Amino acid sequence: MVEYFNLESLVHLEQTFYETGYEGGFAHGRIHGLIEGRALGRAKGFEMWEELGFYEGFALMWQSIYEKQARNDDRATNHTRRLLELISQFPRINPSTSDAAAEVDIPKLFRQIRSRYKILCSTLGVRPSLRYSDRSQDRDEVADTGVAESDDRPKNTGVWRVESTAPKPVNGQSFDF
Amino acid sequence: MDTPWDDAFDNVVTESFARDVEWTKMSSEFTDVGYREGITAGKEAAVQEGFDAGFADVGAPLGRDLGIVRGRSSAILGFLISAPSTMLGVSEEEKDALIAEAREIAAQLGNIRYSDIEPRDLEAEQHAREHLEMDNEEMEVSEEIEERKKMEGVEDMLVRMSAGENVNAPTRPTAEDVLKLKARLGTLCARLGLSIGY
Repeated sequence: MVEYFNLESLVHLEQTFYETGYEGGFAHGRIHGLIEGRALGRAKGFEMWEELGFYEGFALMWQSIYEKQARNDDRATNHTRRLLELISQFPRINPSTSDAAAEVDIPKLFRQIRSRYKILCSTLGVRPSLRYSDRSQDRDEVADTGVAESDDRPKNTGVWRVESTAPKPVNGQSFDF
Repeated sequence: MDTPWDDAFDNVVTESFARDVEWTKMSSEFTDVGYREGITAGKEAAVQEGFDAGFADVGAPLGRDLGIVRGRSSAILGFLISAPSTMLGVSEEEKDALIAEAREIAAQLGNIRYSDIEPRDLEAEQHAREHLEMDNEEMEVSEEIEERKKMEGVEDMLVRMSAGENVNAPTRPTAEDVLKLKARLGTLCARLGLSIGY
C-alpha cells in the first residue's frame, strides 16, 4: 500500500520537474527563435525589396524625366505606370498563411515585374542592369507567357515560410513513462 | 568509541545523504530533459514570428530605400548617356562630367551590402552577452547567416589581394555613406531640373 503510494507521487514529481524545465526552456528557446527568425527575415526582406525598389526607383526617375520633357502619351510612360502599379501590389510584409493577402501569387508577380522592367528598358533604349537581369534570367524566360502558364503549382507559394532551423534534441531523448 | 548508537546514527546520516543525492539527480535529470525539449519547441514556435517582424520592420523598408536610390541612379545614368547634350542644355564637357558623377554614384551604391547598413539587433546582442557571461559560450548563429558572412569574408580577401599587399583594404561603406550618395544624386538631379526630394 505504502509502496504503491510512493510510486504514484514519484511519477507525479518527475512530471513536475519535467514541466518546470520545459517552461524555462521554452522561454529561452523563444528568444532564440525570435532572434534567428528576425535575422533571416531581415535578410530576405532586404533582398527582395532591394530588387523591387530598384525597379521602382528606376521607373520613378524616368517618370520625372518624361514629365519634365512633357512627354505623356509615350509607350515608355505607359510601361512605367504599369511597372509602378505591379510593384505597389507587392506585399511589404510577409503575408501569413492565414491572411487573405496570401492570395497574391508572389513568384508570378515578381516575374511580371522583372519582365516589365526589361520591356521598359528596351523601350527607353537603355541596357537593363546586369545585377538584376542576370539574377532573373532563368525565370524571365517564362515571364512573358506567365499569364497563360498552367496553374498546377501549389497555391500560396508566395508565402515565405521559415524552414525549421531548430536542431533536433541531441540524443533524441524522449520522456516516456 | 564504537558504540552501536554511533553506528546507527551514521547509518541514518548516510541514508539521508544518499537520498538527497538521488533526489537531486532525479530532479535535475528530468528538469534538463524538459529544458532541452522546451528550447526546441520554443524556438520552433517563435522563428516564424521573428521572421515576419524582421521582414516587415527592417528588411523590406531598408532594402526598398537602397533599391530606390540605386534604381534612380541607374535611370539617370541611362538618361544622360542616351540624351544629346543639346537636349540637356549643357556643353559636351559638362555632360561628360555629369555622366562621370552619375557613374560614380551608381558604382558606390552598387558596392553597398546589406551587412554594411544593417541596423543592430540590440536584443540579440544583449542575449549573446548573457550567454557569454553565463556559460562562456558564444551563441549559435543561423547557418544561412554564417554562410553569407563567410562569403563576404572571401570577397573582402579577394579585394585586398587584387589591391596589392601594400594598399590598405578599402573600408566598408556605412549607412551614412548612403545618405551622402543620396544627397549627391539629389544635387545631380537638381542640376538637370529634376526634383526627387533628397
